[in-house]
Amino acid sequence: MKNSTLALALVAASVTTPAFGQASVEDKLQILQQEIDDLKTQARRAAPPTQQPAAPYSPDYGSPLGRSLGLGSGGTNITGYGEVGYSKFRQSGNATADLQRFVFGFNHRFDERLTFHSEIEIEHAIVSKDDQGEAEIEQAWLNYKLSDAASVKGGLFLIPLGILNETHEPPTYYGVMRNQVETRIIPTTWRELGAGVHGVVAEGLRYDLGITTNFDSGKLDDPTTGIRSGHQEGQLANARNLAAYGALNYRRPGLLVGGGVFTGNTGQNGVSNSVLQGVSARLTLWDVHAQYRVAGLDLQALYAAGTLGDADKVNAAILAAAPTSADAFAAPKTLKGGYVQAAYHVYKLGNFDVAPFVRYERIDIKQQEDPANGQLQDPNNSERIKTIGVNFWVHPQVVLKAGIQRYKTDKSQDRFDLGLGFMF
Amino acid sequence: MSRRPRRSLAMLTLALGAVAAGLVRGEVFQEPDAFVAEVFGSKPAPKVLWLTEDLQAQAAAILGHPPAQLRQRYWSDARKSVWILEEIGKEEFITAGFVVVDGRIDHVRVLVYRESRGQEVRFPSFLKQFKEAKLAPGDRLDREIDGIAGATLSVAAMERMARLSLFFDRTGRK
Repeated sequence: MKNSTLALALVAASVTTPAFGQASVEDKLQILQQEIDDLKTQARRAAPPTQQPAAPYSPDYGSPLGRSLGLGSGGTNITGYGEVGYSKFRQSGNATADLQRFVFGFNHRFDERLTFHSEIEIEHAIVSKDDQGEAEIEQAWLNYKLSDAASVKGGLFLIPLGILNETHEPPTYYGVMRNQVETRIIPTTWRELGAGVHGVVAEGLRYDLGITTNFDSGKLDDPTTGIRSGHQEGQLANARNLAAYGALNYRRPGLLVGGGVFTGNTGQNGVSNSVLQGVSARLTLWDVHAQYRVAGLDLQALYAAGTLGDADKVNAAILAAAPTSADAFAAPKTLKGGYVQAAYHVYKLGNFDVAPFVRYERIDIKQQEDPANGQLQDPNNSERIKTIGVNFWVHPQVVLKAGIQRYKTDKSQDRFDLGLGFMF
Repeated sequence: MSRRPRRSLAMLTLALGAVAAGLVRGEVFQEPDAFVAEVFGSKPAPKVLWLTEDLQAQAAAILGHPPAQLRQRYWSDARKSVWILEEIGKEEFITAGFVVVDGRIDHVRVLVYRESRGQEVRFPSFLKQFKEAKLAPGDRLDREIDGIAGATLSVAAMERMARLSLFFDRTGRK
């Protein structure tokens, strides 16, 4: 029907336009376009109201690019990001080069409201039994957008705590390495299975609420990363104990102020470690953060803290699961950390943008010590880190990075880093 | 009722309240037709800018990718022109209307925002930064636009469209 109308319009235009013979090709096309527009308008007026399209906006303005690629409505698109890093360690003199991660995402729009979002991550280039690489689903969730003020989502999604967890593409942050506070206190990239509601309710005020799976204290196996090693990442997650989260973030141009909280029991009724049967082991993590950009200056600060209840019982579980008592470690009891960061855009020309930065981080993870069983505080869990570096964007989505890091406690981590990051 | 179900119920009620609040508001902020009519008082006949090979090359330099359209529809009178443009933010198209008066942006409005995050680009606090912006050498804006945390790609898309609308306005008046 649509094609026949168009053909009719072309014929009509060629017959009825008197000046057509003398016009240039461009003029002819313009005249034809005008005729088509007029016919479309007439056709719309003639059609009974019941035949008016239900779409909330006129498809006349839809992007030709979008239509040709099938994007924008009913289409699938691909996104991605990745980073390559080189680190030379000061103490040992050793150096490593690594494709730290490559992430690609498939996103699909089912209709005007229902969309699917995903990210699939490969870390350290190779995934095999003999290598250290990992392949993982970082996100896979469906979103039903009721309006700007309310969307409902479900699946495996990122928890809205901190700045980095939801926005972690390399061109969006300073430094080759992600900051340690949002690695060891907030275990970025942190995702859970669940359902949530989110939206923007006032100018720039975004809320997030939801219920998700939680950590499993019975799975803790790394004393240096707080609660991180107890995360379940959507893999056959023990879900006897769920968690609730909430976050509020206020964004204006150049300004972000926000915070979030995540809380729930992590004992999981002892499914992965029978010592934790009937143990709550409530975990609560929260953070506040701010970002302010003015006249080339880029300031950022974050404070995060948390507690793990029943740490003595989690200690007993760790001891029971350890192959030998020497392998047992003390459970995290309280976690806190923060950082301040300042950057200044010293050079901007076209897509080029150069910004040196400094960052100071402080991390304190207190463990539940049990000296009788050799479960002691790890000194590396009290750390101060200074980073000085530079980001050089060659394109808003492609960045070169360099930096020096100095650790106060674990000096084996002192290093010089180079990095290359991208997103699309 | 024990504390846990009560908390869950309260959370669910809060969530449903938010959902209900959302249903009241529309997803499309303004239909393009209404935007054009608002600018001119009534909707004038559209004009068409044909993107010749040369214009396509210049538009591609602004967008960072070739424009797929061969023609761009617009509305104008002696002083002002209106351009409805679309660019992808991260995953989806943003539809925005740009009003150009005497070679400067008079105002901008996000008409349809489809991304799941970054909606903050549609608020006046962000859009007012474009007021009076004009093209500087290299077809760049004559000012810095402050970004929004977490909406980097949407902000970049809005800037590209602003530059393109000014470029199209300049071209359409030649």
